[in-house]
Amino acid sequence: MSARVNHQDVVKRLLDTKAVDFAAVGKAVAEFGPSLSLADEPWEGFCGTMRTFFHCFIINPGLGGTTVESLGALRGAAGELQS
Amino acid sequence: MRQLASQPVERSVELANCPPGPVGLEPGASQAQATTAWPAPLDVHPNPWNEQDLARRLCHVLDIAQQAVKRLAPNGYTDSVEPGNNVRPEKVISETALLLVAASGAAEHDDVRAHVEKVAQLLIFHARSERMLLGACLEPALALDFAQAHVCLHRLGYHDPAFDKLLRKSLHSQARFGHERVPHRMLEQEWLMNGCKRPRPSSLKRTPRAALNSVLNHPMDLLNGSRDDIYAFTHALIYATDFNLYPHRLPREKAVILAEAEVALARCLDEQDYDLAAEVLLAWPLTGKSWSAAAAFGFQVLARVEDEAGFLPAPSTRLERLNSLQGSERRAYLLATAYHTVYVMGLLCAAALQPGRTPPLEISTRGVRNGSASAILQFLELDDRKAHWRVDFDRLKDRERDAIAGLLLNIALRRKAVQRDFGALHKLLEIAYVLGLAGTPAASQAAELLERVASVSRWSAPRSV
Repeated sequence: MSARVNHQDVVKRLLDTKAVDFAAVGKAVAEFGPSLSLADEPWEGFCGTMRTFFHCFIINPGLGGTTVESLGALRGAAGELQS
Repeated sequence: MRQLASQPVERSVELANCPPGPVGLEPGASQAQATTAWPAPLDVHPNPWNEQDLARRLCHVLDIAQQAVKRLAPNGYTDSVEPGNNVRPEKVISETALLLVAASGAAEHDDVRAHVEKVAQLLIFHARSERMLLGACLEPALALDFAQAHVCLHRLGYHDPAFDKLLRKSLHSQARFGHERVPHRMLEQEWLMNGCKRPRPSSLKRTPRAALNSVLNHPMDLLNGSRDDIYAFTHALIYATDFNLYPHRLPREKAVILAEAEVALARCLDEQDYDLAAEVLLAWPLTGKSWSAAAAFGFQVLARVEDEAGFLPAPSTRLERLNSLQGSERRAYLLATAYHTVYVMGLLCAAALQPGRTPPLEISTRGVRNGSASAILQFLELDDRKAHWRVDFDRLKDRERDAIAGLLLNIALRRKAVQRDFGALHKLLEIAYVLGLAGTPAASQAAELLERVASVSRWSAPRSV
């Protein structure tokens, strides 16, 4: 038991080393994200290789959807689709 | 289809070995159905559909397709503010062509046939443009992708031997198979190849090889899968069944496939993802003649939403942005963000117009257990969430509500799985078992999930000491 290491401590130690530059990671994702999200097969798209550079897990994404606009308000614009 | 082919078209010459037109398109097959204009704003149909109404909805979609071709086919759409709205011209052109093939199955309706002809005439120039020819020429591994609209038009009787000749060269090149594809995209390639020639009846009896590797042959991850997984399912089904024009044998029993479709439908309705919901609903008319209670309800929701909005909307159409734009910019934004979901409703109506495939107006209540719906509903009402389906649900009679208790269960299972509320998931399964609703793929996957979570819990507990 005494040999066990709390994984939070390990993570904290690693973060404290500043070995991962999260600002640089964020910048790279911001640059590639839009084009990758539009690619047909984005999971194989990074840098055009088959290698996975990042795994992003959404542990609890919450419920999606509910973003369709008011149907009545959309109705006002419906006629423009045909003109 | 000879009628369509008789229209003056670009380099239209009859090819040997071309496929026949879809059944019912020959002159004389018409039922002379007159469809009416789209209702004026707020003139919402209380009891929306019959064959004539479905044809009207399809013609409405084809009207919008004309605008999409005129405005988006030349250069697509580029949105400097929200690049996610960008649309490539090839996408609009290919999707319009696909819509026409689907609509051709309902061309015994005069209005539908006339609309198909109009859109096809507009599309020919773009489908066989220099851009498409060069794409097929320079990237042979993508030749069929560039030629998709050409192949669809060929099926409709609009031929172009010069384009065919170039396409054949690309398809015989060494680099032809140089692009690796996922199974439903492989099915799409097979579907396009079949569009170039008349399928032999014996070939339709076999299951396409790519379908064996697709999600049509394996259960989807119904609780945690992505939208892409559902797309893979719907697209594989579309290509394997060929809009019922030349359907292949499916790799699993239809009942099993439809049971999974029902779970996907529940999720799409609950997330107001109508693009995907309409694609999933295609599973019923494309595989058989009967609509389950859940599927009939799903169609009811989509038809009502379409009536209220004037088109089947997608979340990508934002009113604030729309109202900040004017003139041609405004119309281009509206079309670019809306056309795809509008088209999918067209595909659904076209499939539903095939003989005997019209969704029922009444939800079947045969074998319903009283009180099933309310037992499941209590789990949904804990969430602060009001999707459109709830409006339609509240209008149902008690027996009809109970008839779609399975759909409610699928919605609840998905919600609780996403929320990682495993306690509620367990309670739901217990109730479903008592109500006789547990024999569904979502319930089965939820039980497996709970078993795995319990294993993880047993495994990780000693390590956290």
